[in-house]
Amino acid sequence: MTKDILVVDNLNMHYETLEGNVMAVNNVTFTVKEGESFGLVGESGCGKSSVASTLLQLQSENAIISSGSIKLDNQELVGMSESDLRKVRWNDISIVFQGAMNAWNPVIKIGEQIREAIREHHPNNTKKENTEKISELFKIVGLDDSIMDRYPHELSGGMKQRAIISLALSCDPKIVIADEPTTALDVVIQDQILNEIKKVQKLLGLSLIYISHDIAVIAEMTDNMAVMYAGSIVEKGPTASIFSNPRHAYTKLLLESTPSVVGEKKKLRALDGEPPSLINGLKGCSFSPRCPDPTDACKKGSLEMKLIEIESAHWADQCCVNCG
Amino acid sequence: MIVVFFIFLVSSYLLFNAIPGNAFSNLLLNPNLPPDAYEKVLQTYGLDKPLFERVQLYVVNFFKGDFGYSYKYYPQTPIELIAERLPRTLMLFSVVNIISFYTGFFVGKVLAWRRGTKSETWITVTSVFSYTVFYPWFALMMLWFFGYKLGWFPIGKFLYPEKWYDAPFDSDIIFAMMIKFVVVISILQFIAYTVSRGIEALSIRRNIRFTSLVLIFIGSYFYWNTGEALARKPYAADIAYHMILPVLVVTIVAFAGTALLTRTTMMEVLKEDYILTARAKGISQKRIRDRHAARTALLPVVTSFIFTIVTIIDGSVLTEQIFSWPGMGQLLLQSVLNEDIPVAMAAFSFVGVFALLAHLIADISYSYLDPRIRIKSQG
Repeated sequence: MTKDILVVDNLNMHYETLEGNVMAVNNVTFTVKEGESFGLVGESGCGKSSVASTLLQLQSENAIISSGSIKLDNQELVGMSESDLRKVRWNDISIVFQGAMNAWNPVIKIGEQIREAIREHHPNNTKKENTEKISELFKIVGLDDSIMDRYPHELSGGMKQRAIISLALSCDPKIVIADEPTTALDVVIQDQILNEIKKVQKLLGLSLIYISHDIAVIAEMTDNMAVMYAGSIVEKGPTASIFSNPRHAYTKLLLESTPSVVGEKKKLRALDGEPPSLINGLKGCSFSPRCPDPTDACKKGSLEMKLIEIESAHWADQCCVNCG
Repeated sequence: MIVVFFIFLVSSYLLFNAIPGNAFSNLLLNPNLPPDAYEKVLQTYGLDKPLFERVQLYVVNFFKGDFGYSYKYYPQTPIELIAERLPRTLMLFSVVNIISFYTGFFVGKVLAWRRGTKSETWITVTSVFSYTVFYPWFALMMLWFFGYKLGWFPIGKFLYPEKWYDAPFDSDIIFAMMIKFVVVISILQFIAYTVSRGIEALSIRRNIRFTSLVLIFIGSYFYWNTGEALARKPYAADIAYHMILPVLVVTIVAFAGTALLTRTTMMEVLKEDYILTARAKGISQKRIRDRHAARTALLPVVTSFIFTIVTIIDGSVLTEQIFSWPGMGQLLLQSVLNEDIPVAMAAFSFVGVFALLAHLIADISYSYLDPRIRIKSQG
C-alpha cells in the first residue's frame, strides 16, 4: 500500500472580517497518497483556494486556523514556525497559482526567478548546476532554454504557465498543488497545459492536488476527488465512483450542468440561487436552501453536516444520503 | 527636448528683458561701468538693435558659450563665477540627495512592511510633518536650536575664514577633491555589488559585499593619511563640519516625500500575486521585501525623486541664503538683486539645463529599471 503523503484532518479555518467571521473551511478531511492525483472541485468562493493556501500556511493575516491538522509526510504544518515553514515550502510542497499571469515578478528574468527558489533550498549549488537543472525542467514542460533570459512580459500566457510548472518542480517537491492553473488560458492552451501536467506527474511520480471549478477537467485529471460546497466537503471518493454514482444533490446537479460528449443530448441544468454567505457559519445542511427536493429534516437544519461512507472509500454528506 | 530648450532660452531672455526699468539699458548708464566695458556690452548684447535680433544674438552667444561679463565683478565672466560656485552647491546637494534618497527609500520600505504597527503610525505622522513643514521656518529653527542653543554646529559660513588665511590652496580645490572622493567610493561599491551579483551562493555574496565595504573604509583611511590629501585633510574636515547642519535640514525635508511615496507604492506591490509566489518559494521575508517588493516599487519613486532633485536645486536659493553657503543659489539671488543680468541669466539657464538633464536621466533610468519599458522603446 502506498503511503499517505498529505493528511488533512478536521481542518477549520475562518477569516476575521469587520462583518464577522467568515467560515471558509469547515471540518475538511482528506488524504493524498504518494503518486496520486487528488481533485478538489466546487464553485467560486466555496473555499477551494482557502484550503490550498492553508496547505502551504500562506493564508492571509486575518485567516485563523481554529482547529485541525495538516500533516505533510508526518510533519505537522499547523503552528509550525515561519523559519521551519520556509524550509518546507517549495522543497516539499509547491503550488501553481491561480492566474499565472501575475505570478511572475515583472522586473526579474524568468531563469533568475526559478534559480532564486533553488538557491534558497540548495544554497551550495553552483550556477552551472542550477542552470542545468532549469534547462532539464524546461525540456520536460516543452520550453526552450532561451526563455531563461526572458522577462515575463515577453512570454505568451501558455509559455508563462509552462514556466510556472517548471518553477513548481524546481526543488523536486513531494506534492504539487495546482490551483486552477488553466483559468486564464484559452481552451486550446488549456488542453496542452493539462496534458503537460499529467505527463509530468506520471514522469516524476508526483502527488498532485488539482483544484478547479471545472468538473470535466477534474474527471480527466484525477484519481480521487472531493466536492466542496460552502466551505465543507460534501462528497469525496474515487473519481470514477463519484461520476458513475453521485450521491450528494450538489454533485448530481454539478454533473448535470456539464455537457457530455458521448451521452445522449439533454438540456443542461443550471443551479438556481446563490451560494450562501459564510459569515458566522451555517447550521445544518448548507445546501438545503438550493436543494431541488429537500426533506423536512433538511429544511429544519436538524441534521449536522457529517460525511458517512456509502461504498468503500466513497463518502457523502449524511443529509443527502438519507434523503435518497 | 531641443525644442523645449529653445523655448526655455527665449522665454528666459524675454523675462529678463521685461524687468521694470529695463535692466539692460539701465546698466549702460551706470557710471561705475568702465568705458571699455560699455562698448563690449553694447556689442555682445546688441543693445542698439531691435528685440528680435537681440534674442537671436543671445541664443547664438549662448551656444558659443559667451555670456558676456559680470557687471558687478567686471573682468570675470559668468562662466567663471559659476565654475567657482558650482562645486560647493554640487557637493552639498549630491550628499543631500544620496542620503535623502536612501533614507527615504529605506524608511518607506520598512513602513509598508510594518503596516499597522504603532511605530509605522508615528513615523508616517513625522514624515507627513516634515513633508509639509514650511521650509525656511524649519531651517531657521534648526539653526537656532543646533547652532545657537546647543552650539554644536557653526551658524552660517561654509568654512572658518581664520583657518584659511594661510591655506596654500583655494577652497574649490578641496571641494573638487571631496566630490571626486565621493564619486570614486560610490563607483567602487557599485562595482563590488555588480560583480557579486553573479555569484550563486548567497552567503559568499554577502561576504564579498561586506569585505568590499571594509576595504573601502580602509582604503579611504589610507587615502586621507598620505601625501597631498594629508595636508588637505584639516581643511576638508572643516568644510565637512560646516556641511552637517545644512545636510541634516535639507535631508529631513527631502526624505519624507520619497518615504511616503515608497510606502504607498510598496503597499500596492505587496498585494500582487508574485509576492505570494515568492513567499511560497520559501524565500526569507527580508529578501521578499528588498528583492521583490522594493525593486518593483522603485520605478515611480525614482521618477519622483529625479524631479525632487530639480526642486532641491531650485530650493538651493533658499537653503544657501539661510545657511550662508556661497553656492549657485546665492549667486543667482545676489545677481538678480544687483541687476547683474548676465550672471543671473547664465545661472538661470544653467539651472534650466540641469532640469532638462534630470528629465533625460529619468527617462534613461526608467528603461534600466523596468524591462517592460525597455522593450517598448526598442520597437
